[in-house]
Amino acid sequence: MLDPIVIGIIGLVVLFGLLILRMPVGIAMITVGIGGTWVLSETVSYIRFVPYLKQYKSLLWENVANYDLSVVPLFVLMGYIAAEARLSSDLFKGLEALMSRLRGGVAMAAVAACGGFGAVCGSSLATAATMGKVALPELRALGYSPRLASGALAAGGTLGILIPPSVALVIYAIIVEGSILQMFQAAILPGLLAVAGFIAVIAIQVRLNPSLAPEPKEMEPAERRRAIRRLLPVIVIFGAIILGLGFGLFTPTPAASIGVFAVGAYGFALRALTGEGLNLPGLMRAIRATAVTSGMIYLILFGAEVLKGFFTRTNLPQALSDWATTSGMDPMLILVIMLVVFVILGCFMESLAMILVVVPFFWPALIALNGGEYATADTSAFGLDTDSLKIWFGILALIVVELGLITPPVGLNVFIISSLAKDTPMSTVFRGVLPFLGAEFIRVALILMLPALTLIVPRLIGG
Amino acid sequence: MTVMIRRLADGLAVLGGVILLVIVAVTTTNTSAFILDRIAGLFGTNVAGLPGYEDFVQLAISGVALMFFPYCQAQRGHVAVELFMDRLPHVLQRAFDRLWLACTAAVALFLAYWMVFGLLEARSDGVVTSVLGWAVWPFYLPGLVSMILWALVAATQIAGGTPDA
Repeated sequence: MLDPIVIGIIGLVVLFGLLILRMPVGIAMITVGIGGTWVLSETVSYIRFVPYLKQYKSLLWENVANYDLSVVPLFVLMGYIAAEARLSSDLFKGLEALMSRLRGGVAMAAVAACGGFGAVCGSSLATAATMGKVALPELRALGYSPRLASGALAAGGTLGILIPPSVALVIYAIIVEGSILQMFQAAILPGLLAVAGFIAVIAIQVRLNPSLAPEPKEMEPAERRRAIRRLLPVIVIFGAIILGLGFGLFTPTPAASIGVFAVGAYGFALRALTGEGLNLPGLMRAIRATAVTSGMIYLILFGAEVLKGFFTRTNLPQALSDWATTSGMDPMLILVIMLVVFVILGCFMESLAMILVVVPFFWPALIALNGGEYATADTSAFGLDTDSLKIWFGILALIVVELGLITPPVGLNVFIISSLAKDTPMSTVFRGVLPFLGAEFIRVALILMLPALTLIVPRLIGG
Repeated sequence: MTVMIRRLADGLAVLGGVILLVIVAVTTTNTSAFILDRIAGLFGTNVAGLPGYEDFVQLAISGVALMFFPYCQAQRGHVAVELFMDRLPHVLQRAFDRLWLACTAAVALFLAYWMVFGLLEARSDGVVTSVLGWAVWPFYLPGLVSMILWALVAATQIAGGTPDA
């Protein structure tokens, strides 16, 4: 008779085996969840399979009929409409107009535009692909080194996950039963820190090696005025959504809806006035792209629900939690090990799926390590109460999850940029990404040492 | 047959998108009413929001989310991990692909099967939403249709149908 925990571990191994064999992530989660529960029911007397199956009468419907989760397709739609309305291009050109006086300024503008567009788009891969298409040709035409141009864009693609609104933040908050708004607020400072860090990396690189970027060249005054004029509405729309969410003026679903409305109305108005912007075929393309992305996310969310049911029955998360508290290891060391696991898995696994699979294992262990659900800041191992721990760990986890996208040997963002820059070998893109990776590790270390970086904004706003 | 199934999947996704735009309109109206109410409050009057708006969003989004599944499948949008499979012989890759498509179709039919019982149970129990009082069971129907169509899309892909480009 197999121990349920052993069945849980076997389930985990089978899940990763299926993923490596390229089974769709959501289907693999459902297969292991249902199959594993069947094996459990054959082994453990108190788990019965037929009553378990009956929950599927309503499980899927209840999983998707969720008001909080309605933000997912809405934010995704907003991102695709913004791309169709060419707001990504306006954002980049406008920031370029502001920063082109600096050496490396266009690369800095590309990184800042990645942060702005990534925030609205919510997907690192889509940000890298969109901004890569917009900025890479210009950076190359201006004479930027392939290494700096491709590295900046691949790294810049990762910025969106933290700056609100972020689908990943919503999902994390739902898993740990935290406040979506507080997570958004907590992410503002670390997100801005990342943009500042990446811009500093470019500044330092071009100072040390001026051949990486051409001599700064100002835009023609007329072009500059036009770019800044087109930037203003983008900043107003994106800024209103980001700050409105961050400062708790809107809850996520209204913010997302107003965002879709504002971006769509601006795109159509731009079309009517200038001939550029959003038209009906563009809207249809955005809807179809939203169907693909949202369908993928909802399936993974449902798969995670099924998988969670299986693992909970095996007691595996509880066993991990017990091991963490009795191992005698320093809690901070265990936290660092968890973050390293995220980085390693992030090299080949989709971020959202990873958050959904791994966080339910790590989170109970962290609560136990911290001194239990009701630990106070004075009595806890990390010096944080449970709500603060939720925020701090969530921000750290989301940052390291994205590091996998630019970490050799896989790095999906690197693949995307490399496919766009046909004349740039993948090894060059990886070399270009390394300084940004260094900045990211410094950011993670800073947030690890100073949890206040994540907690100060929610505390200031929330009181 | 394959073309018809693809068109159905596309049509269902577009319909889902249109419902999503209705959600945008309803939510924007409700939020605007909320803001106007704050302003009107300064003058001693009030502007009513849309009662049961969250109920509506909850019901509508259930249909939207599931209506996206068949089109997502048609586009091979359900994400998978690309680690080393692309280095295997093409025949082996295709064999695994067909196996996973068969699993996808089986999962979709499994969910459709149980959703039928869910629908019947919600109908016989007279489940309604808390504010609007709308019956919940009709909102199982888009999901049910979507699951069946999802299975059909996966089945056509097993048979060699290529995804929409």
